[in-house]
Amino acid sequence: MMEFISSTFTSYVALFPVTLAQSLILAFVVMGIMIPFRTLHFPDLTSEGAYPLGGCVCGMLIAAGVNPALAIIAALLCGFAAGCCTAFIHLRFRIHTLLAGILMMTMLYSINLRIMGKSNLSIFGTGSVFDWAPFVTPGFPASKIIIAGIIGAGVFLALNWFFKTERGTAMRAVGANPAMAEAQGISVWVSTIGGVGLASAFSATSGALMVQSQGFADVNMGLGILINGLAALMIGEAIVGKHSVFRQLLAPFVGAIIYYQLVSLCLAAGMPPPDLKLATGLFVLAMLALPSLKRGRGGAPAREKFRE
Amino acid sequence: MLEIRSARKTFYKGQADEKVALDALDLTLQTGEFGVVIGSNGAGKSTMLNAISGAMPLDSGHILINGDDVTNTPVHKRAMRIARVFQDPMLGTAASMTVAENMLLAELRSKSRTFARGLNAKRLSDYKERLSMLGLGLEDRLDTRVELLSGGQRQSLSLIMAVGGSPDLLLLDEHTAALDPRTADLVLNATIRAVDALKLTTLMVTHNMQHAVDYGNRVIMLDAGKVKLQIGDDEKTNITVATLVDHFSVKSDAMLLGA
Repeated sequence: MMEFISSTFTSYVALFPVTLAQSLILAFVVMGIMIPFRTLHFPDLTSEGAYPLGGCVCGMLIAAGVNPALAIIAALLCGFAAGCCTAFIHLRFRIHTLLAGILMMTMLYSINLRIMGKSNLSIFGTGSVFDWAPFVTPGFPASKIIIAGIIGAGVFLALNWFFKTERGTAMRAVGANPAMAEAQGISVWVSTIGGVGLASAFSATSGALMVQSQGFADVNMGLGILINGLAALMIGEAIVGKHSVFRQLLAPFVGAIIYYQLVSLCLAAGMPPPDLKLATGLFVLAMLALPSLKRGRGGAPAREKFRE
Repeated sequence: MLEIRSARKTFYKGQADEKVALDALDLTLQTGEFGVVIGSNGAGKSTMLNAISGAMPLDSGHILINGDDVTNTPVHKRAMRIARVFQDPMLGTAASMTVAENMLLAELRSKSRTFARGLNAKRLSDYKERLSMLGLGLEDRLDTRVELLSGGQRQSLSLIMAVGGSPDLLLLDEHTAALDPRTADLVLNATIRAVDALKLTTLMVTHNMQHAVDYGNRVIMLDAGKVKLQIGDDEKTNITVATLVDHFSVKSDAMLLGA
């Protein structure tokens, strides 16, 4: 028993920096899931397609010799466009947000394959933004932690500022009460399309950073990213709360860091990797079911929304 | 000034349960006038309000505000001129946002939103002052999320939000119907004070005949999607609840009792 604990601990500690770097990169996907889900009340699945989209675009551009920072910006713009499409499909054709997201993510799979021309692409050995980290040797987790941390802090501060501006407050109002927002002169279309686009831009950025970090792009890299992101978001919200802009924005970062450390701990303890998705799914289910379990039996009342 | 010109709206067109909600409705409300709309269920009161606010497009006809045709203007653009208080206190406010943030959203209704900080010190003190007029203590709860307020507090907040910025037209959609009698009186009194003080052009829908008798310059009775009766300033001073109820095609004791 003691031996099991000590071997688990040793491998966990050895994995710690790698996992931290990974979680800081994936925090952007969590942000990309949180913004539609919480701020806009637009449950969105686009991230599962936008994340590999960002990765594929970035991979292709770097393979073609483009500057890694420019490749990230290009990936971000592609992600933004994908998010805009999902929101437009929902608004224009009155298709449920989840279905709109599934449609978009399915179509993006083909698009990602078209972009790369094959299912995976190695860019190992080419430059990445992580080479620019100060004070550390490139290629080590520390450089990734520094670069991803700096970008993350920038994103956090920018969003914390934006959501308190007049426009940002209006965008939050669309999520809180769309009918009221409209009656207060706010365009639901502009806010929803802009907000979901922004979120997918973050997911794509995450994919681009991940490709640069791991040295290859794969069309299947998005598989299960959504459920991981949701699990991270739930953990983050349970720890820091969600009742203010500051806390709501902090939750994705805190959640991502802790979630991936937990995953790493499970793996270090010898959990077979194939079981990981089942465990994550059960965890998210438990977190989502908790309020209804507290309320007692019977579940939530059926909701119907009618809008002429 | 509000003008509605031969507005028509039919629901379920061509189906067995076709329903004419607005039947060539004509109505003019002068600037500064306070019209009280009454009518039995299904008379077209809500449809008319939704058509004015833009929430429901008309089949035909025109809506003009201060002479400008807004028939094809979307809700969020009409909001620059129209403020509305809904019957349901939940509808008029953003529940998960704070009192101050809701006030901010209302203040920006007729302005273009910028990337400047929303809640600055000047605004907060202004909101404090405006909310203190209600006497509900809301001025000390600026950072409280609106979902934690009572129905009456939320509706009072909706009212303050609506009358701020002096809209060209104020729509009140049975805005006291969901409240207990005491709170309803409080909200209604605040409404009357604000409308008088700011000389707002107002259209109030109510089921309460006594309110129709007591308040406003003009009673407008709708029936089957048309204006059936209008009682203006001079006559209005002499009407009673009983005479109003006499005009309903379908009478019920509830109308008298409800008054």
